[in-house]
Amino acid sequence: MGFLTVLKKMKQKEKEMRILMLGLDNAGKTTILKRFNGEPIDTISPTLGFNIKTLEHRGFTLNLWDVGGQKSLRSYWRNYFECTDGLIWVVDSADKRRLEDCRAELHVLLQEERLAGATLLVFANKQDLPGACTPEELKEILELDQIRTHHWQIAKCSAVTGENLLKGMDWLIDDIAARIFTLD
Amino acid sequence: MEIMEGGIDKINLITKRDVERKLELQKRKEDKSNLAADNEKLGYFEKTFANKRTHIENLLMHSNTIEKHVLPDHFNDISKEILLLQKYVANSNIFLRSYDIKKCQESIQELTNKLKELEDELLPKKKFGFKNRTKPKVNNKKLERDEVDFHGKVTVVAKQTCGFSNRVGEILEIGGDEIFKKDVTVENLENCKVKILGCPSTLHLSYLKNCYIFAGPVSTSIFAENCTDCTLVIACQQLRLHASKNVNIYLHVTSRAIMEDCHSIFLAPYNLKYDGLDNDFKKSGLDKHCNNWKCVDDFNWLNVDKPSPNWSLLDEKNIVDYWGNL
Repeated sequence: MGFLTVLKKMKQKEKEMRILMLGLDNAGKTTILKRFNGEPIDTISPTLGFNIKTLEHRGFTLNLWDVGGQKSLRSYWRNYFECTDGLIWVVDSADKRRLEDCRAELHVLLQEERLAGATLLVFANKQDLPGACTPEELKEILELDQIRTHHWQIAKCSAVTGENLLKGMDWLIDDIAARIFTLD
Repeated sequence: MEIMEGGIDKINLITKRDVERKLELQKRKEDKSNLAADNEKLGYFEKTFANKRTHIENLLMHSNTIEKHVLPDHFNDISKEILLLQKYVANSNIFLRSYDIKKCQESIQELTNKLKELEDELLPKKKFGFKNRTKPKVNNKKLERDEVDFHGKVTVVAKQTCGFSNRVGEILEIGGDEIFKKDVTVENLENCKVKILGCPSTLHLSYLKNCYIFAGPVSTSIFAENCTDCTLVIACQQLRLHASKNVNIYLHVTSRAIMEDCHSIFLAPYNLKYDGLDNDFKKSGLDKHCNNWKCVDDFNWLNVDKPSPNWSLLDEKNIVDYWGNL
């Protein structure tokens, strides 16, 4: 009995993933989080600190951390790095003036030792806007091909319409699961 | 007879004990063999792991002798091998002890580091051949190149957006279907009056000097930065104001406004009036009766007891009631 309980507990624990969501301010991190969780998105305020959501998806328990992206908050991002299985980098694909800023912040982040091994999903958000960059353009501008330290993928999405959100998330979960869990 | 019966009892007892003993022995043997199987599994894993590891190390060692044009493929192969090894460890973690896992992860990390070192050494990203000594100059050059590239890309994609840029002393107007559900960008203006009468999806304002901005309801966020000596008459779901000073904002915001690195910001309620404003509010999805224009979070002022010195309400006598016939 005791042993079985221990096994069961381990199993439950195994199915947990910690996912950190970062990006410049106004990228749509909170909107993605709320949309994913099925909450209304028309009352969202700029994030003053962080939001945590725990949700069940495909039998996994996802702990999603959404940390504010304002310049003055970015130095606190490091406090959330520990034990991160997956990193979601959210990009406002329509905000071309700050893509350079976005590239620099991302590459600084990826050098962080405590994020080594975390799977990286780049969400090219706001694809519903007509002027949005395509994922291919973003891949070039953000120099994603240079990333060797992490498994990564870029996925277009729109948090407002919900387009492609699940698909991107499923890739992330599959990649993490293949890495850290024994396949059932 | 009694003795005989006693003897038979004894014999029975002895046989029974013998059977029990044998069973016990067999059980022990089984236990032992089970344990051995585990050990074998572990042993097998260790052997395989060591083999794969040596294989990768060999590959790494041979990198020096491989011709340059096949090097990228070679490195790709190695990183694939390392990945496979990592997967192997992950698949075996059910019977591994945490110490084993730790050790394996360490050696995998070591291999990854070695690969990276070799890659940096043999396949440097950009090499200016004979000018290795003037390192800072090379860096500068690279930065410059990046910036040029970046601007190039911006102009390529900028064509698709609507808005205004690089104007001085003009009256600019945009509206209606042209901006409906689109992102409007207004940047690098001086002494301009901009009318955005309609409901765009988002609005970006940057590097404005001494400008007036009149905007209809923006369905999501307004992002404003580096605005100086401006008056903004705006409605939106969120307002994000950065690095701006001396700005009067006549604001309608349904969730919240934030500011960062701003000072001398003065707020008043939204009072823009034009034909079709009510309709635009409906189209944008903003609630006309929900206005949190006094709720501003200042990222540079975390003290809740005292109000931020960076913004205040606009003095009533300074409020402009009417913006003319828009």
